[in-house]
Amino acid sequence: MSGIIDISNIANSYIPVAVILIVALVMPPITMLIIKLVSPRSKASAKYATYEAGSVPVGNARIQFNVEYYLYAIAFVLFDIEVLFLYPWTTIFKGHDITSIATAEMLVFIFVVLFGYVYLIKKEALKWMK
Amino acid sequence: MNLMLVAPELTIAVTGLAVLLIGLFLPTDSKKILGYLASLGVLIALALTVSSLGTEALLFYNTVSIDALSQFFKIVFLVVALLFTIAGIKYTEGNSNTEEFFTLGLFATIGMMFVASANDLMVLFVAFELASLATYALAGFEKKNIKSLEAAMKYFIIGSLSAALMLLGISYVYGATGTTSIPEIAANSATLASSPIGIVAVVLLLAGFGFKIALVPFHMWAPDTYQGSPSVVSALLAAGSKKMGIVAALKVFVVALIALKADWQIAFAILAVITMTYGNVVALKQTSVKRMLAYSSLAQAGYITMAFVVLTPIALGGGIFYALSHGFMKAGAFIATAAVTYMVLSENKDSADPDHIENFRGLGKRMPITALCMTIFVFALAGIPLTAGYMSKFVLFSSTIQSGFVWLAVIAILNSAISLGYYAKIVKYMYFLPTDSEKVSEPFPYTIAMIIAAVGVLALGFWSEPFVHWAMEAASVLLTGGM
Repeated sequence: MSGIIDISNIANSYIPVAVILIVALVMPPITMLIIKLVSPRSKASAKYATYEAGSVPVGNARIQFNVEYYLYAIAFVLFDIEVLFLYPWTTIFKGHDITSIATAEMLVFIFVVLFGYVYLIKKEALKWMK
Repeated sequence: MNLMLVAPELTIAVTGLAVLLIGLFLPTDSKKILGYLASLGVLIALALTVSSLGTEALLFYNTVSIDALSQFFKIVFLVVALLFTIAGIKYTEGNSNTEEFFTLGLFATIGMMFVASANDLMVLFVAFELASLATYALAGFEKKNIKSLEAAMKYFIIGSLSAALMLLGISYVYGATGTTSIPEIAANSATLASSPIGIVAVVLLLAGFGFKIALVPFHMWAPDTYQGSPSVVSALLAAGSKKMGIVAALKVFVVALIALKADWQIAFAILAVITMTYGNVVALKQTSVKRMLAYSSLAQAGYITMAFVVLTPIALGGGIFYALSHGFMKAGAFIATAAVTYMVLSENKDSADPDHIENFRGLGKRMPITALCMTIFVFALAGIPLTAGYMSKFVLFSSTIQSGFVWLAVIAILNSAISLGYYAKIVKYMYFLPTDSEKVSEPFPYTIAMIIAAVGVLALGFWSEPFVHWAMEAASVLLTGGM
């Protein structure tokens, strides 16, 4: 069985990579040069203000987020990915003669995820300000 | 497919989840029961593994194989897990996060067990990561202890890097051979051997596994992590996680990439020599017993790596047998340190370094059982006759000489002599230096775990023949190219 990469031609097959590498190195300086040449300059003081969706900025930009915010975010991402995992499962569920084992496996999977959910609740990870 | 064949893994998984769920609903005072539950689960899994010895099967579309090699290493991991859970009963006393401690430990054990039976590089990698992720969290279990956090941080960053290197190596192997199945890679490895890709893959995989086995120069994290983590966790890392790296390297190098033998054999020879010498020499001047054990653990990994150089059935069997005895010796020694740490901390809560060798002064009078067990462990690590360490060194070194690597064996034997220097220092502190402090009561679970480990060390030394024979059987799986 031959491999996916054609070994005899290995150096040639990396030529596109080398081309992209050179382009990647050259592009940023060129773009910056073009911007410098064509863009108009303005010295108004508002230019240096913090951008806050067009309105006048309020307060300091360096505010602290509650660390629980990240916990929320991680939990959200986890459950989000679990749903993604269900998607390919639905596409192969029918027509491959595996409905019973596929159902059993998905139930085990969901059960384990549910476990995580109970864990989050009991550990008060979903409570904002304890 | 017979689910009974993965019953040990399933038992550990169910126990892990049960411990987590039950722990959530228990008040902190009654969480002690979780440790007993976890130990019971490990014991059942151990019994199931022992009862299915001699079975050979391929499961899950040939990605998991049950054979003599996987069964042998599964028993190593389960024994270490048993020592970990028993010692953990005392360590987690009064801790509100007890359930996480045991669940993470059990999940790490499942990962190690699946690495041992992996027949496919993807299964191997996923199982490797399962074990690694669980142990990263365990290393930082003492959230308020800055040393524990440092240990976890270093272990995590370097571990992730090594995982990335390993995966890159696997991708090259896949690219050149078109498969991730270990026996099929072995069959197609002629393509790898005839191209520069093979060398790239070997280097990347060697670095990836080298980090986990803690071979010099990939060892930077190991002393800090073993010293900073709670001693019970260090036992799991040094005795379990390190063996996982060894079994993975055995599968990947000796089975899958045997065609590139000429390339990696010499690399392993150099790494073995540097690792054992560096580990032993640096261990000589350590004052923290945990750090000393960490460097000794490097040295031991260096000895085991000799099996990759010699590559005869006897040498591989010797290396595998060494892995088993090292599991008992090193886990036991770290648990003995845990017992001493516990004693020091219960006398003085703010003690800055409870694992300093001064705390072992007069331990023979203060904690006689701990001191006796520690003596057995360090003598076994040094390779004194009638212990497991002697037998494993004997098999490994004599097979090295037999196959003509006399220089390697001489270096290893000289190293063993050096190592006696620091091992004897611990014994000197325990028995020959006076102390004013009085006898203290020894924590029961630690004592049980140490006695199990000590009995194991002595049994493997006195009655080693069946175990050596069994290790040879496991090694023969490697040389016939898997299943």
